[in-house]
Amino acid sequence: MLVGTGDPETLARHAAELTGFATSPEKLLGVETLQIAFEAERGGADDLLPPGLHPTRPPVVTWLVQRVPESPWGPFALAQCRIECRSGLRPRGFLRGGVIDNEAARDALAARWGYALALGAPRLVRSYDEIRAGATLGGTTVLELALRDPMPLRNADAYYVASVHLAHTPRGLRLVQVDPEFDVARAERGRPLALHFDADAWRCAGLRPSAPVSGSFSIADVTLPALRYVCRPEVPAFLGTERVDA
Amino acid sequence: MKFGIFFELSVPRPFSPEREREVITNALEQARLADELGFECAWVVEHHFLEEYSHSSAPELFLTAVAMQTQRIRVGHGAVVCVPEINHPIRVAERAAFLDLLSGGRLEFGTARSSTWTEIGGFEADPDDTKKDWDEYVRVLPQMWMQETFAHRGRCFSMPERAILPKPLQKPHPPMWVTVTSPGTELDAADRGLGCLGVATASYAEQERRTREYHRRIQLCEPAGAVVNDRVAILNFMYCHEDAKRAAEDGLRFLGTFGLLNAHLLFTREVYPTSAYQSLANLAPSPSAKGGPGDRPGVPDGICIGDPRGIISAAKRWESIGVDQINMLLNASEVLSQDQVLASLRLFAKEVMPVFAC
Repeated sequence: MLVGTGDPETLARHAAELTGFATSPEKLLGVETLQIAFEAERGGADDLLPPGLHPTRPPVVTWLVQRVPESPWGPFALAQCRIECRSGLRPRGFLRGGVIDNEAARDALAARWGYALALGAPRLVRSYDEIRAGATLGGTTVLELALRDPMPLRNADAYYVASVHLAHTPRGLRLVQVDPEFDVARAERGRPLALHFDADAWRCAGLRPSAPVSGSFSIADVTLPALRYVCRPEVPAFLGTERVDA
Repeated sequence: MKFGIFFELSVPRPFSPEREREVITNALEQARLADELGFECAWVVEHHFLEEYSHSSAPELFLTAVAMQTQRIRVGHGAVVCVPEINHPIRVAERAAFLDLLSGGRLEFGTARSSTWTEIGGFEADPDDTKKDWDEYVRVLPQMWMQETFAHRGRCFSMPERAILPKPLQKPHPPMWVTVTSPGTELDAADRGLGCLGVATASYAEQERRTREYHRRIQLCEPAGAVVNDRVAILNFMYCHEDAKRAAEDGLRFLGTFGLLNAHLLFTREVYPTSAYQSLANLAPSPSAKGGPGDRPGVPDGICIGDPRGIISAAKRWESIGVDQINMLLNASEVLSQDQVLASLRLFAKEVMPVFAC
């Protein structure tokens, strides 16, 4: 059975500091989300996952770029780079890197859900012929995506895999399960393009996207949930899962 | 109630041709024994690129070997992937007819469309098209088998008039099935007069609901072929041992391994948003009805892991809700030894099957 081959401590070099597990849910209204999925070359991909997670075949990288018009911390834009994987039996996206443009939101997302995000400039621009998204860090472009010819999709068909975040927690280094709920009001699907991806900037050294899988866009109310489980990153989920909501 | 065996041909890592050969020869030995013991059918899947989970990429060759080494047991395609990028319909018709001839008319013909991105993406097929492709296949294949010559202008393929050869031995053609993974596919099977080949485990209540609806719908079907197959088969997991505790210990290891391998597949639904794939298509039963991740699971209701008495009780319950055939997966990634699998088959045939003999 495949397991990640990355060293948890190395992977946690820029991990967030989760201050506690007793987080209440937060509902974010009218969130626009562009999600692009690409297959990635196998070489080195498993090194981006800790042994507590299982790689997929083929490896798949997903980028989510979101525009959040209102939140307790003000409006913000967020870009994430995730590696598809399994935690025990469950599909998950392992967050490797993120960029956000709002410092208060960055701090709250880190402290309450373990998001490791750098301050930068994500952007999401919608046109009828395409949706463009990307991010810059320190003025340098690190991601450039496009969704060409978006067409309507049934709301129920928009699908988002839950996340796991490697974070320093009161129990030590843990994989934090974060399962945002999407209440989708509008969904579209189109032809996905990955025009530029600086793997190093997303803490994905060596990751090479190889073939497009899908691209979708949605407008949804997104609820960041209360935390229920964390897992030890060095062992499989059946051995290392801990309840934190009891 | 009839009992079949079902092969995924899963191969533990690290792979080698020797290890793959061992898995295949073990499965052939199991099929020979199942033939002697009176099992109804040996089914094998078709999968591509699914490392460890299933190396069964040429099921027609495996089934040919089964047919050549057995006398009575039927040979089941469980199932042929009806997507043109993977199997051209003409080649599907030819190979199936050939296998029916070689086996002396013992072919059961299952149809499917694949549920993983690994396979669909690997062949660069369009996930939005696979349901439509499958529908065209199930309509044309019987015609290819029955008509002296065949011509077609269709959506997923076309061909000028040719004689598609050979023709199957069974008349009008081999029984046709649809693999049912996602809820609702049993209705597709019923509407076309095709057998319901369950490959995802469901609870008693869910299976009863599906079976009742299937039997109600199939009365009104427009058959895709020349004959209606109204049987309902389900997938189960068998490890039979005199000692129920020992059976549960070893059987759960096998069940858990299968469940993990299956859950680690990259299902189309997960990465490609489309109405054509509305569920992830996990096949294994939930390991535990209560509790959460990390809890130690028990044997789920209805799973044929236990002593003969427990397995009889489960099979009786399936029979009572209208299931005609239970197809047993016998091993996963060789976590059970070949001796354990053969002993389990023998004990099942000795203690369980006579209870269900007509």
